[in-house]
Amino acid sequence: MKLPRSVLLQVLSRSFLLQASWNYEQMQSLGLIYALTPAFRRYYSGAALLAAYRRHLEYFNTHPYLATTVIGAVLKLEEQAQHGIDPGFTVGEFKSALVAPCAAMGDAFFWGAMRPVAAVVALLWAFHGSLWGPVFFIALFNLPHFWFRVQGLIKGYGGGVRVVSTLQRWHLSDWAICLKQVLVVLLGFFAAVIGAAATDNLDAGIAWGLCVAPLVLGLCALMRRRVSPLLVVLVLSLLLLSWFQLH
Amino acid sequence: MFFPALGVTVVVAILCGLDRTAAGQFMICRPIVAAPLTGWLLGEVAIGLQVGAMLELLWLGRLPVGAAIPPDDSQVAVGCTFLAIMSHAQTGMPPQAVAAASLLISMPFGKAGQLFDRLARLANARLLNKAELALDSGRFEGLERFHLRGMWHFAAASLATLTVVVGGGLLCLPLFLKYLDGPLVAAAPWIWLLFPLAGIGSLLSGLKVPRASLLFGGSFVLGLFILALR
Amino acid sequence: MGIVLVRVDNRLIHGQILEAWVPAVRADCIVVANNQLAEIAFQKLLMESAVPKGIKVAIGTIEEMVPLLRSEELIDRRVLLLFANPQDALQAHRLGVSFVELNLGNLHGGKNKKRLSCTVALNDGDIVQLQALEDDGVKVVLQCVPSDRQRLWR
Repeated sequence: MKLPRSVLLQVLSRSFLLQASWNYEQMQSLGLIYALTPAFRRYYSGAALLAAYRRHLEYFNTHPYLATTVIGAVLKLEEQAQHGIDPGFTVGEFKSALVAPCAAMGDAFFWGAMRPVAAVVALLWAFHGSLWGPVFFIALFNLPHFWFRVQGLIKGYGGGVRVVSTLQRWHLSDWAICLKQVLVVLLGFFAAVIGAAATDNLDAGIAWGLCVAPLVLGLCALMRRRVSPLLVVLVLSLLLLSWFQLH
Repeated sequence: MFFPALGVTVVVAILCGLDRTAAGQFMICRPIVAAPLTGWLLGEVAIGLQVGAMLELLWLGRLPVGAAIPPDDSQVAVGCTFLAIMSHAQTGMPPQAVAAASLLISMPFGKAGQLFDRLARLANARLLNKAELALDSGRFEGLERFHLRGMWHFAAASLATLTVVVGGGLLCLPLFLKYLDGPLVAAAPWIWLLFPLAGIGSLLSGLKVPRASLLFGGSFVLGLFILALR
Repeated sequence: MGIVLVRVDNRLIHGQILEAWVPAVRADCIVVANNQLAEIAFQKLLMESAVPKGIKVAIGTIEEMVPLLRSEELIDRRVLLLFANPQDALQAHRLGVSFVELNLGNLHGGKNKKRLSCTVALNDGDIVQLQALEDDGVKVVLQCVPSDRQRLWR
């Protein structure tokens, strides 16, 4: 019994609510069940459905955007189990093997790389008062977001256990490193934009903008020592305010 | 003007609060989107954009990885935009000055967000218990509803954070603006540059990539050179 | 340089490790000592592929990892050592892996578990083992991510 496209679409749309009941006991477990339900109602009924729910009401936590990959594979494995195909491990074991690496890849790619890159690109516009900034941010970030949600479900459901090689082929953690290098370049350029704006404020030559570099490195060193950015900003702002109060 | 604006702010705050974790995660909740959105709905998009641009990078390095909760920059962005627009209307001070002042005041209150978010997640544990009990007694019809109810908790948490941010801001901001209006106007262009700079520092401190200093330095110097040619 | 962080985390390699701890302690090598993980081939593969290229990964049973950690091979690496539970940490320590501080990261909840913090819940066995580690001179601390404040486990 193969799931019709409409059911997969339901699973996909429900995956957007994966974290609605996130808790410290089992994290996304109820969310997983919520997303699996449209398919499970086709697979099972009565006592079998109850048993399936019980099987899946256990610790589950992964990156929300890559969760569809896991969900798709889980659906495939459940389907194969009904046909008596035994992969040599339980669906639960497979699931718990998959979630942590997916979480690591997703965190590195989306939170660690994609989001700051999109934010800095947006800021380059927003900094000069252009409303294209927020628009670019939403577009640039959500393009890969949607792509991975949809592709993940397709590859996961299509591949079952073989989704492991799909995940490897995506090389998300290596892409994350590349994107982070792009991020560093963008941050350098953004720092230059700030330096140029500062020299404009002072009517000084743009070469004075070079002074921004040691400032950034100093701030960076402070934050390496786990001084919170909030504290840094508050203290420096107060210093600025008292300077202008006295002069 | 005050109460309709507050109503709009509350709606945006809840929308962003849900987008943060519970529903969608389209990143409408990021300050760079949430603040201009609030500003646009309140008729002062420029102030919103300024608040968003200042706040965006500052806490971006704090990732929502696993069970870690970053500071609630969404509620700070939304609440702060509201505060800035209200103060701008009242005092007539330049947008940049009110945006900077509102941010300095509302950011410390934003710390409450982590507490409320944690409470929401603890409250969600009760939903899980109910779901487990239901399954133990052989019922499964309610499972989906238990799950969806978690959104109320997240919505309540965002509302609580917004209340602290806006409440604290309404108490402190008038005093701040009254006694420091002169220096604020003078310092605002510098504070406006300071925020993204601190954000860059914070992001760089968490990045570990090969040749980072070369890439940063190269693009910084080249960037200045290009900007000088303009 | 040797071991820079020893952590108990039942999720082993995941986002908090790669995105928060590795940069914070400037680790360039992750050692996972876990008996179950070493058995399941695809899980090991996936864990390895979650780690970016520049960082060395070694995944194996506790008995395999102890000699590796004591060998010359990792002497000028900054090693981040991961265990799934306090029992494994105690075993490794008793087998001669020396560390003075043990970080409790994620030990998720369950029945008959006492919650120490949002992310750490312990059963009676865990508490006995951590106590034993403490008696051996290991400082046991709770700190989920580097930006959290570090505190003693009791």
